[in-house]
Amino acid sequence: MTATTNLLVFFGLVVTLLLVWRQSWPARVRLFVAQSILLALLAAAIGWLAGKPALLVVALVFLGLKAWIIPRILWRMAAGTPLRALPPGHSSGVALLLAGGLVVAAYVIILPITATATLPTADAIPLAFAMSLIGLFVCVTGRDVLGQVLGFLVFENGIFGLALLATYGLPGLVEAGVFLDVLVIVLLMEGVVMQIRREHDSIDVDRLRELRG
Amino acid sequence: MSLIVLLLAPLAGAALLGRATGAAARTLHAAALAATLGAAAAVVVGVAGAGTVTALDGLLRADALSAWMVGLIGIVAALAGAETLAGFPGGAAGESRRFYPLFHLFVFTMLLAVTTDDLGLMWVAVEGTTLASVFLVNFHRTRASLEAAYKYLLICSVGIALAFVGTVFIYFADAQRIGAETHALRWTTLVRWAPQLPPAVVELAFVFLLVGYGTKAGLAPMHTWLPDAHSEAPAPVSALMSGVLLSVGIYAVLRFKTVVDLAAGPGFTRRLLVLFGLSSMAVAAAFLWAPTNFKRMLAYSSVEHLGLVSLGLGFGGLWGVTGAALHLGNHALAKSVLFVLSGRIRDAYGTVEIPSVRGLLAAMPVTGRGFVVALLALLGLPPFGLFISELMILGAGFQEGWGPAAALGLVLLLVAFGGLLRALHSMAYGAGGSAAAAARETLTWKGAAPIAIALSLLVLTGTAWPPGLASALERVAAVMGG
Repeated sequence: MTATTNLLVFFGLVVTLLLVWRQSWPARVRLFVAQSILLALLAAAIGWLAGKPALLVVALVFLGLKAWIIPRILWRMAAGTPLRALPPGHSSGVALLLAGGLVVAAYVIILPITATATLPTADAIPLAFAMSLIGLFVCVTGRDVLGQVLGFLVFENGIFGLALLATYGLPGLVEAGVFLDVLVIVLLMEGVVMQIRREHDSIDVDRLRELRG
Repeated sequence: MSLIVLLLAPLAGAALLGRATGAAARTLHAAALAATLGAAAAVVVGVAGAGTVTALDGLLRADALSAWMVGLIGIVAALAGAETLAGFPGGAAGESRRFYPLFHLFVFTMLLAVTTDDLGLMWVAVEGTTLASVFLVNFHRTRASLEAAYKYLLICSVGIALAFVGTVFIYFADAQRIGAETHALRWTTLVRWAPQLPPAVVELAFVFLLVGYGTKAGLAPMHTWLPDAHSEAPAPVSALMSGVLLSVGIYAVLRFKTVVDLAAGPGFTRRLLVLFGLSSMAVAAAFLWAPTNFKRMLAYSSVEHLGLVSLGLGFGGLWGVTGAALHLGNHALAKSVLFVLSGRIRDAYGTVEIPSVRGLLAAMPVTGRGFVVALLALLGLPPFGLFISELMILGAGFQEGWGPAAALGLVLLLVAFGGLLRALHSMAYGAGGSAAAAARETLTWKGAAPIAIALSLLVLTGTAWPPGLASALERVAAVMGG
């Protein structure tokens, strides 16, 4: 069990780091889908190995939501956005370095949890936490609205992985509420992004600087 | 039973109002408001009699703290809802179908957050408050309101996701000790098992919970969404957000604070609450020294007052905790009145810039006087309730050995006081009370009565406490563990 979960979460972290590195929108959405599939596999693996059939249902719902419905919405949101060339002198090297630093930070912050955990999945908890921290980093540093939304979704995925590893799934009512919330957030984001594009002819966050003070 | 009615009233209202238009919608809106207020009163009375009220096998549970919040939400929702009874100034006929259902859905999510015993469901409900109110913030569909709605949705979603991490950590600590009991995330279960939870884990969890729910509560430095959302939303929505949504954020922190204090001792949560309280008051004071936009001014004042509440909770002791609870109520009343009136002023003058609003008292005698009185109450002058609760909070600081922090809080309060007073002076007096404004002051008793009632309640909490208030506050403090 430990080997399987560790491997899945490790691949998830690699995918997350690639997402920081890549700049093209289609590639980033594909990486998000890959991350979501890995997490769905993680849920299924934990459900199977720990004898919790309910987690198999969670894995299926998660797969449908994060690997199919939400990516479709993301494609719709991006439709019509010109593929932006990277400004010269701007590379993802620094961002990648900072993301690496976040992995170390995740290990330090999460220390009280791993110190008391007796679960076979405990070793992977800091990795999942690092995934969510990197997602938050992508969200905060996103240069357009799409980047920020994608970062938020990666953040959310990391938290899902964290919850799985630390608790083997939350009560069903909460899990259902979380999925519903994520879906509604993305739908609302789509509405807002569409309107921003109509108003500003662009989705750069620099345009959203009217309100100050 | 009363809890189920309390939640069904706004939910049914929201569902039906999605289909109604015109006069039918307005009648239905009024009926839903009245039903919600009535059910809230029933819950408050029920809790006063029996101590706690439960429903749905304990999933819904109201104790003294919940009842306090239910009462506040009921009153502020009625006050804010009454402002839209006559429809929307300058709004198209179809607008009510966008506004009314979301308004009641917003009220429903807040009521659910404070009446559920399951802290996971509470999280879902608090997230629901954001989702229900995003389009209310963007109701006017201007560039500025769009930007405000986007920031609100993104920042609060991130914040609330951090609170989810904290909830997961608490559940982790809990499930490790007691096994995956079905009710492991129930507050009542957690309180029972709290002394056995590992202190390091619950302390880490509390940091995430305070930052997360503190974002919803508008504590600095996570407050950045608040001035935008409060100033761009229609006035009644601002009243709801500022009056009770922020308090719901504090409520969520409080539920966890009780658990963390039992597991790790109260020192840790107190230090953090004092820190966030002071930083909020400092950020607000810096802006309030020279405000230019009166809706943003009211919004920053909310950051200040929620900071003060956080300070009171951090100081602790009976005075600090009861003072903080009372201050939540006083602030909810004063600020919702001010936001409702600021909407009328904005409609009359066509601006939210403080320098452009002159001679308010002459131009709009009733609204102007209400605004001046409510702002004086907000400033913490007697005979209004905020004077008493601020005294209780700062007094608790000196009593509990937080002297320097309390003194700093007092200085920050005075800075904000000066700025607000100057703004008030500039708006209330001076020549140039435009004829347009005078012509629009067409106030009926329906528009004046809710304001008058709220202001009289504030005088009551500041002078002669109505019977039951003292014992209610004592029981709120008992729930929080002093």
